[in-house]
Amino acid sequence: MSTAERTAGRSAFAEYVSRHWRDWAITVAAFVLAMLIGAILMVVADPQVSANFAYLFTAPQLALGGAWAKVSSAYGALVVGAVGSPQALALTSSKAAPLICAGLGVGLAFRAGLFNIGAQGQAIWGALTAAYIGFTFELPYGLHLVLAVLGGMAAGAVWGGIVGWLKAKTGAHEVIVTIMMNYIASGMLAYLLTTAAFRRPGREDPISPEVHPTAALPSIFGQFHFGFILALAAAAGVWWLLERSTTGFSIRAVGANPNAASTAGMSVAATTTITMTCAGALAGLAGIQFALGPSANGAPVPLTLGLVGTVGFDAITVALLGRSRPVGIVLAGLLFGGLDAGGLAMQSVAQTPLTLTMVLQAVVVLFVAAPALVATILPFLKGRKLKPAAALTGGQA
Amino acid sequence: MPDQDTRGLQLRGITKKFGSFVANDAVDLDIRPGEIHCLLGENGAGKSTLMNVLYGLLQPDGGAIVVGGVEQHFANPRQAMAAGIGMVHQHFMLVEVFTVAENLILGREDGPVVDLRAARTKVDELSQRYNLPVDPDAVIEDLPVGVQQRVEILKALANDAEYLIFDEPTAVLTPQETDDLMAVMKKLRDDGKAIVFITHKLREVREIADRITVLRRGRIVGSAEPGTPENKLAELMVGRAVDLQITKPPAEVGDVRLRVEGLSVADPNGTVVVDDLDFEVRAGEILCVAGVQGNGQSELADALLGNNADVIAGAISLDGVDITHARPRETIAAGVGFVPEDRQHDGFIGSFTVAENLVLNRYRDRPFANGIALNLEAIAENATELVEQYDIRTESIQKLAGQLSGGNAQKLVLARELSRELALLVASQPTRGVDVGAIEFLHKRIVEERDTGAAVLIFSTELEEVEALADRVLVMYRGRSVGVVAPDTPREVLGLMMAGVPHDEAISGSSGSAGAEGERS
Amino acid sequence: MKKSLTITAALGALALAFAGCATPPPAATSSASATSSATASDFKACMVSDLGGFDDKSFNQTSHDGLVKAGTELGVQTAQVQSKAEADYAQNIKSMVDGKCNIIITVGFLLGDATQAAAKQYPDVKFAIVDYAYDKPESNLKGLVFNTGEPSFMAGYAAASLSQTGKVGTFGGAKIPSVTAFMTGYAQGVAYYNKAKGKDVKVLGWDDTKKDGSFIPGQNPFQDVAGGKQVANNLVSQGADILLPVAGSAGEGALQVAQASGGKVGSMWVDTDGCVSQAKYCAVIPTSVGKAMDVAVFQAIKDAKEGTFNNTPYVGTLSNAGVFLAPFHDWDSKVTAETKSELDKIKADIVAGTIKIA
Repeated sequence: MSTAERTAGRSAFAEYVSRHWRDWAITVAAFVLAMLIGAILMVVADPQVSANFAYLFTAPQLALGGAWAKVSSAYGALVVGAVGSPQALALTSSKAAPLICAGLGVGLAFRAGLFNIGAQGQAIWGALTAAYIGFTFELPYGLHLVLAVLGGMAAGAVWGGIVGWLKAKTGAHEVIVTIMMNYIASGMLAYLLTTAAFRRPGREDPISPEVHPTAALPSIFGQFHFGFILALAAAAGVWWLLERSTTGFSIRAVGANPNAASTAGMSVAATTTITMTCAGALAGLAGIQFALGPSANGAPVPLTLGLVGTVGFDAITVALLGRSRPVGIVLAGLLFGGLDAGGLAMQSVAQTPLTLTMVLQAVVVLFVAAPALVATILPFLKGRKLKPAAALTGGQA
Repeated sequence: MPDQDTRGLQLRGITKKFGSFVANDAVDLDIRPGEIHCLLGENGAGKSTLMNVLYGLLQPDGGAIVVGGVEQHFANPRQAMAAGIGMVHQHFMLVEVFTVAENLILGREDGPVVDLRAARTKVDELSQRYNLPVDPDAVIEDLPVGVQQRVEILKALANDAEYLIFDEPTAVLTPQETDDLMAVMKKLRDDGKAIVFITHKLREVREIADRITVLRRGRIVGSAEPGTPENKLAELMVGRAVDLQITKPPAEVGDVRLRVEGLSVADPNGTVVVDDLDFEVRAGEILCVAGVQGNGQSELADALLGNNADVIAGAISLDGVDITHARPRETIAAGVGFVPEDRQHDGFIGSFTVAENLVLNRYRDRPFANGIALNLEAIAENATELVEQYDIRTESIQKLAGQLSGGNAQKLVLARELSRELALLVASQPTRGVDVGAIEFLHKRIVEERDTGAAVLIFSTELEEVEALADRVLVMYRGRSVGVVAPDTPREVLGLMMAGVPHDEAISGSSGSAGAEGERS
Repeated sequence: MKKSLTITAALGALALAFAGCATPPPAATSSASATSSATASDFKACMVSDLGGFDDKSFNQTSHDGLVKAGTELGVQTAQVQSKAEADYAQNIKSMVDGKCNIIITVGFLLGDATQAAAKQYPDVKFAIVDYAYDKPESNLKGLVFNTGEPSFMAGYAAASLSQTGKVGTFGGAKIPSVTAFMTGYAQGVAYYNKAKGKDVKVLGWDDTKKDGSFIPGQNPFQDVAGGKQVANNLVSQGADILLPVAGSAGEGALQVAQASGGKVGSMWVDTDGCVSQAKYCAVIPTSVGKAMDVAVFQAIKDAKEGTFNNTPYVGTLSNAGVFLAPFHDWDSKVTAETKSELDKIKADIVAGTIKIA
């Protein structure tokens, strides 16, 4: 039966390529278009450079040269800052790791048809718990880290699982519940940081003690730390879960058609709860990256109100950009991590405002989220006309 | 000889390819005012592709469309509509939360102000003229399927369509609704409209076609006179002789397998939709539940599977084991095979591959899973086998099930359910929207399942199917059993029973003398 | 539709063509990037903001003004990085070290840990941090702190004298020392007024005995204008008619509430003179509690450039003009001459140490 297997394998690959090449092309095109728009914005936003466009025809070298110098130095800094050196790559990896984890949490939920807006709250719980274990207990190397990581993931899993359980039992919509749970999580964090258990002795502001080095994610090279390996492992785990496990089969089935899944004997309620629990654990892992990952000065950043930033919301973007596929999410996370790292270089080296890198990210997402828009701008990507539902389901093609 | 009437519409040498697949191969078609032109063909023969080309949804790779003597190129449906072409889709293109009148003016709003009053007037005017009663202010989602279809027809007529395409309009209709639609189509024809009627139901073709063109594998394989016998038409369609009436051996009835006692089921609103129902199905027999749609059949089927059914009284047992409140996973494990009424909605997952769909309710069992890991090889092997065995036409087992034609999707669902040992097969409308060749095959497989000793329960609104399959017929009306009769009970009697008239009255009420035997078991 | 688009595009192109026909001034043609490079020295001063950003119309912006001033007056090169997340602080400081900065000024106590770590790690670079003072600073690290309680005391006194309802209010962005210092001074100024005048003006939003009060909830309180508005509305609904929001950009919420009140409510501003930084609200701003961070930043850069930098914390006080009560602007007529002279006396007493704020 080996020939048959090989044929099946090859046809599966061919299926994949024929089904997805356009997605990839559009993603790349979206990126390029966003860079173009970013370039225009940079030129327009800089009064000195844009003023020279008054002389576009009389002294084009002024206008175009100025614009080129501006844009090339900014994008040059972006590229160098993201991938230009081992340090840059390390920074990119450390920026990408939490985005990948939280993106997986959102993406996994997406696959089950759940819109997990709650990665933020789940990440907060992950960070909070991991940091607490990290600065409170005195434990040997290894054990301390394992406990902190597992604790953080468990906290995220509980926070996500509550949402799944509520949805399964009461039908409460997960979007509303997760949004509220985010508020509760950040409120809890703010409260806990005022308590003796969390607040650093001698400080009045909400900041925790420093995490013991025994609980820090070990650095491999600068900021390229073990957390990135964890993120990749999580991505591989999610891929296996979705594509190779029975649980993933039911997650995908419930996401694609809950009626058919239920008719086939799958429990939509149980699947929802399991999915949200796993998603919460993944988002919790993102929080752990913030709490235990070494910063530029080698030590983890102590827990504060805004430690996890907006990772839960950026994760939605990452999941969207990665089309909720683990590989896509890793790539999207790296892209965003690179934009973050490179964006810093754009600021510090080329003195481009932070807001511009954020606009760049937003434009990338805009184009990626609306493939039809990119296809309209670049008609050669259009290919076969989208057929209406009647033609697809009616069957007589 | 086709005349050169410039009022007509001609398709000349239409060719449409999808990659290397030729869906339409140089198809010529002549559509004339005042005629019903039947386009007959199996699922996947290229009928819908051809009509989508005509309607501007697809662009042909070759050939020409000539309307009223002028060659036309339709880049989109809007242009086709402007040329007088209207389409009644199989899956309605209506906004479900809008009213009838609002749907009618959808996409035709002139200026910023929506003139609803004019739309209402138009609905009334058209529905009177063509005898299509519809309340202009009714919201679409509240209307029965048959009435929704009327709205689709009204929409086309409101666009002043001269050429009306009906894409398998009867697939979703009950027998009564089908008769109503036929009457409407005749009226439209007599009014001078040109009608293209796509179907694979031979009885309907014989009833109203003025001309018949048969399509097979993208080519026209012939035309037929309206009086052509059904088996002849079927042969043209399928390309070989077809048994329209399967010959099934008499049932060898064994012990009772399914027993339903005093069963009552409520719908989500709390209304009792299955009311104190008693029946049983024995090993080796087929019990058909006949009835007009919406008389509790769906809820009964759901209750048997244990899927989202609110059983408020009574008991269901399978082989003596109580399964009244069992969940689908348990009933499936107990040997219940289930073919849902709406296969798109409940039967398979469009974005899953054929292979995945073929193990949709067995993916946790050996050999498809080892522990929590899927065994992809076993899943692929199973798919390859079943695709072959059930003649599911697909390029690959990795193709998405949503891309299968209706008949092939139904084969997929039946293949999945019949490929394991069953104690009970529950199949709702097992051949709805499926073409003749496939119906024959599916019916045979169902009878074979019976002969392995399974109890078989079929829900059908099509009397032909009831006649073909049933060993006994249970007629359901408003959640209750009107009676259990023999399959050779005259149609009129069954029809009356389906309207709630008890068996005895139905016999005296109908002109034909009945051969019913009432209770048998 | 399509045609009109084409015409629009053509017109646009034409307009661009005309606009592009201007003749460049001769100076501009010589060098595409003609900045003040002639006077630029090799010395580089850099700044890292907290999450507020350099356009927060409050302390990041004021600090940045000091950097800009150093650029133009001292001819030093400048660079800045705006922080996007708290986890980025260390990285952002490092990027400025990598940018070969001679002095790096970090803005906000939130950068305290990261700045200290960096000072340890890079002893050759000078660091100064706004709003943070260390007990035992590194030799290359200078804290720039401001005794904002002093002008706040004056503001509280003025507020009490202006209140019609007998209630004044304050709220903070977060319960942190640099915020509560304002609230403490404000409340004590009101108490001083009550004692001097035998009145009973109440302070809402800060309980000086419990050292606790009203703060904007949420994760980014200093950027949350809507949150500030909500807290301000709460105070007003309880009767407060003069407010002191101590919440960075989010304080704008209080200005909005004051503006919507039709003259019933006034809201002060902090860090900068609100009539300058929030000019459109000037009519509702009685006065502002100023923190001359620009002066402190400028001075730190100047010292570093001239080699006189030391690690003794800078403390801005009324006496060295590092903090101040801004002019009354539009409210000048509402503040009685009596109050004005009392305020002058209070200022003198504070400088002299006869009034102590704790």
